[in-house]
Amino acid sequence: MAATATTSSATGARSIGGERLKETLVGYGFIAGPMLVYGLLFFYPIAYSIYISRYDWGALGKISSRGSGNYRDLLHDHRFGLAVKNGLKFTIGFAVFSMALGLFVAVVVNNAVRARTFFRSAYYFPSIASSAAITAIALFVLSADGIFNKLTGLHHAWFGESGTALWAIVGLNSWTTSGTVMLFYLAYLQAIPTEVYEAAAIDGAGAWRTFWKVTFPLLKPGHFFVSTLLVIGGLKMFDQAFIASGGSGGPNNSTLVPVLYLYRVAFYDVRFGYAAAIGLALMLLMFTLTLIQRLTFGRAEAA
Amino acid sequence: MAGGDVPTEKGFVPPAEAPLVPPSPPAVEELAFAGEAAAGVLAGIPGRTGVERTRTIVVYTLLGAIALVYFVPFLWTISTSLKSLPETEQFNLLPHHPTLHAYHDVLTTFHFLRYAANSAGLAATVTVLNVFLCSLGGYAFARLRFPGREVLFMAVLATLMIPDQLRLVPIFVKFSQWHLLGHYHAYVLIKLASAAQLFLMRQYFLTIPRDLEEAAKLDGAGYFKTFWKVMLPLAGPAIAAVAILEFEGTWNDFFWPLIIFTTAPSHFTLPVGIFSFVTTYQTQWPQLMAGSAIAIAPIAVIYLFFQRYFVAGVASAGVKG
Repeated sequence: MAATATTSSATGARSIGGERLKETLVGYGFIAGPMLVYGLLFFYPIAYSIYISRYDWGALGKISSRGSGNYRDLLHDHRFGLAVKNGLKFTIGFAVFSMALGLFVAVVVNNAVRARTFFRSAYYFPSIASSAAITAIALFVLSADGIFNKLTGLHHAWFGESGTALWAIVGLNSWTTSGTVMLFYLAYLQAIPTEVYEAAAIDGAGAWRTFWKVTFPLLKPGHFFVSTLLVIGGLKMFDQAFIASGGSGGPNNSTLVPVLYLYRVAFYDVRFGYAAAIGLALMLLMFTLTLIQRLTFGRAEAA
Repeated sequence: MAGGDVPTEKGFVPPAEAPLVPPSPPAVEELAFAGEAAAGVLAGIPGRTGVERTRTIVVYTLLGAIALVYFVPFLWTISTSLKSLPETEQFNLLPHHPTLHAYHDVLTTFHFLRYAANSAGLAATVTVLNVFLCSLGGYAFARLRFPGREVLFMAVLATLMIPDQLRLVPIFVKFSQWHLLGHYHAYVLIKLASAAQLFLMRQYFLTIPRDLEEAAKLDGAGYFKTFWKVMLPLAGPAIAAVAILEFEGTWNDFFWPLIIFTTAPSHFTLPVGIFSFVTTYQTQWPQLMAGSAIAIAPIAVIYLFFQRYFVAGVASAGVKG
């Protein structure tokens, strides 16, 4: 190599250097489009968000400087506290139900010898249907004289009562998201070696026992992955609460989740500075919860 | 869980190694076959045929029951959309006098034809631009060498950590200053390029052997020509996945159209149209169900034909909020 390099002509060396430069320029050219988008619509907005959050900011722009006042207000804002509480309530319910449902469906599908792909595809479908349309359907199905009450003999206006509205959304989102959860769990289930089940069968363990003693613990990486996605997804929930409550977060603030509160502060109260602070606080909350999850699962993994 | 992130010759594998997200699931498609075999092995253990038969009955009964629970709401939607308002008070699944009146009503009187056209136009535009920009960027990150490549790629992945909710206020304020609100191109700009799709394209390009590129280069093809004529045609499965995921995501998107088009009803997309209808005429159930069916049907049809791409892309698509 060295010999070739020394004997090669000066023009050859320059053309290699030129090729390098050309590749570099082409590389920057190819990524320019996406990078511009990410810079302009992701990184710049974050910085700008921090800037806005330090002002009283109305429809026409800056009103007055607030320093860290917006953040201090957050601590005393009982509606923000309520929104976070609702958000956590929703997130826990949503994560638990969609994991339970998704895992159950995954185990059943995994046991099907024939038509497995068909059932897998069918159950995933609610996950890709329009959230607005799905919410409209839920409003109809769960209305006071809807088919759900008719079939179950219950008498609730599910979205109209403050005791049930948030749980109706939990049910709705668990139904649609369980398909996604099922897909992930199926992948993890199929990664479990067959010998494990054979050994359990030889030991005379029944299906129930095998599931709880063998399958469930072996799915731990799956539990972690899925629960992390669901917790973040749950805290970001907006469409369903917004549509079901007509944008109000009602009845009686029962569906006022964090993002809906942010939206209302921004567009109903026209307090963009405060809304920006809420956005940043929410991101912090999401990071913290992810971190806690990672640490807990990480420690359990090490033990 | 190492199996997930290794691309195989079998075809498209989801970008399992989603950045900053915990351990990735193994590739869904691929492992289906292993599972199929496993079930066969279990079924083949002698002396267990009776148990097996019981198990089969239980499994398929459950599968049927789940299907019922999952699809009754959709059937009920279609059924109601074909009824007249008085008939919705009866609980018959098959309408006595099926009518397309609600569809006609919602498409014309309630402007859903316009909304559907807006949705389709925006979804198609966003899809084409995303496929182009993300494959171009993905190819550069996978194949070209330039200073700062790794750092820039980390920056791309970092955008996945930024929730839309955080961008809401700054983007709204800026777009309002730039007089972009209420315009189609404002929405297109927001959805122009996504990090998940770029990542997906990059992972796929990494699996394509270099020989073909080298050959093209020896033939004197330039970088763009090599990308356009040689690499892009080879990336068919990844492009299909990106296109389908992007189309679905944009078609179903409620959040950004709501923000951008609130003051411009003629620009409403179907999801925003549904919301607007709900707040105004909530109990006109046949029309609302017809509108919902119109919003769901195109995705259902695409899903029917291209379901494996949806499944392949699920890892990058994440969880519906």
